[in-house]
Amino acid sequence: MIINFKLNGKEKSVTISNNKRLIDLLRDDLKLTGTKEGCSIGECGACTVIINGKAVTSCLVLAQQVDGCEVITVEGLADGDKLTKLQENFMKYGAIQCGFCTPGMLMSAYALFLENPTPSREEIETAIEGNLCRCTGYKPIIQAMISTASEE
Amino acid sequence: MIPQYKYYRPKTLNELKNILGQLKDNIHILAGGTDIVPGFIQESKRFTSIQDLIDINSIPELKTIKEFDGKVSIGAAVTFSEVIKNEIIRKYFPLLVKAAQTVGSVQIRNRATIVGNFVNNAPCADSVPPLLVYDASIKIISPAGEHITPLSKFLLNPYETQLNKNECVTEILLPIPTNNYIGDFYKLGRRSAVSISRISLAFLLHKEENIIKEFRIASGAITPIGKRFYEIEKAFEGKEISSETFMEIASAVGEEVLKTTGLRWSTAYKLPVVQQMLYQLLERNAGGSSR
Repeated sequence: MIINFKLNGKEKSVTISNNKRLIDLLRDDLKLTGTKEGCSIGECGACTVIINGKAVTSCLVLAQQVDGCEVITVEGLADGDKLTKLQENFMKYGAIQCGFCTPGMLMSAYALFLENPTPSREEIETAIEGNLCRCTGYKPIIQAMISTASEE
Repeated sequence: MIPQYKYYRPKTLNELKNILGQLKDNIHILAGGTDIVPGFIQESKRFTSIQDLIDINSIPELKTIKEFDGKVSIGAAVTFSEVIKNEIIRKYFPLLVKAAQTVGSVQIRNRATIVGNFVNNAPCADSVPPLLVYDASIKIISPAGEHITPLSKFLLNPYETQLNKNECVTEILLPIPTNNYIGDFYKLGRRSAVSISRISLAFLLHKEENIIKEFRIASGAITPIGKRFYEIEKAFEGKEISSETFMEIASAVGEEVLKTTGLRWSTAYKLPVVQQMLYQLLERNAGGSSR
């Protein structure tokens, strides 16, 4: 089956022979390994990507389902070497320790800012409810997001 | 492992009917996929034998919420996020919005559908208690035609419904409430986000002066499947609103739950919680402090 979709701003046409999930298509076939696989059942948020402007866990989406869609992964955030303000703030506030949750966390945050550039703290907390981080205790992550919102 | 099913993506209801008519065994409808896809990975027997998977997300009629003839219809591919944001639903069915907000996480709500929630019929399905108190019906299509059935009859046993292999639920039909109802939805999980309900309840109450004119109550995770307590509802209509009445309701519901589930290891904990929680819920919404 051929799947045509827009990935990080570029048109892609991929032929898949076996049924697979979106996360497998991204990591195994397209070698975009920024998207991480944690729990595989939609609970940890490490595999979060954006489909048609909405944050989704790519472990719960079948590859065939993105046909005709627009997908953004963590690789699609920076413009070459130039990071987004959100990514800069993650570094500035120490919102990263082991880094495993970071791509998913960034994508949930990015999806929130796409919809609402000036979210409240409560909206920020809701947006990352589905992203587990076992290192930071969330505070630096929320701080990085609040700073990004206030710079808007 | 992901099974090697054949994937279909019909673009119209007619195309869907044709596909349902051609296929025989082990057909499964795919809407949000948030139960099916992890089911593959966890090798759940309910999903690994799927041979034909029909994705209904490209059928425009199934993606809409509309109001007509005193009813609101929610299509089978409408997600929880879409329900939460919809003005019609927010206006008429606030308990459904409240329940939808407690489902999973943003990522889950962006994919998972409200119809998929009760077609899967897990005992913990959060949409079921509010849909039951709002007297939801559902429309089912098959190659032979379509029929409408009350949700309360459609749900049979945990993970089991009336749905046949060549059928697909296409929409939920909710009558727009004609009375002024006070109501609430309550969910207790092990944590606040991404949690599976341990206890869930919804109620609606219509009062005139200080008298209960109409009462509706439905359970979620505390009974094997979501159910209405029709006898209790009737028994308390015409009663005066007071703390004593609310205690009696809470006690009656607790006894009925116990009758349905039998004694379990968790009963000593859950039963007092159900009763106390329901009492507080009624008191908070309809009792002295709210007047």
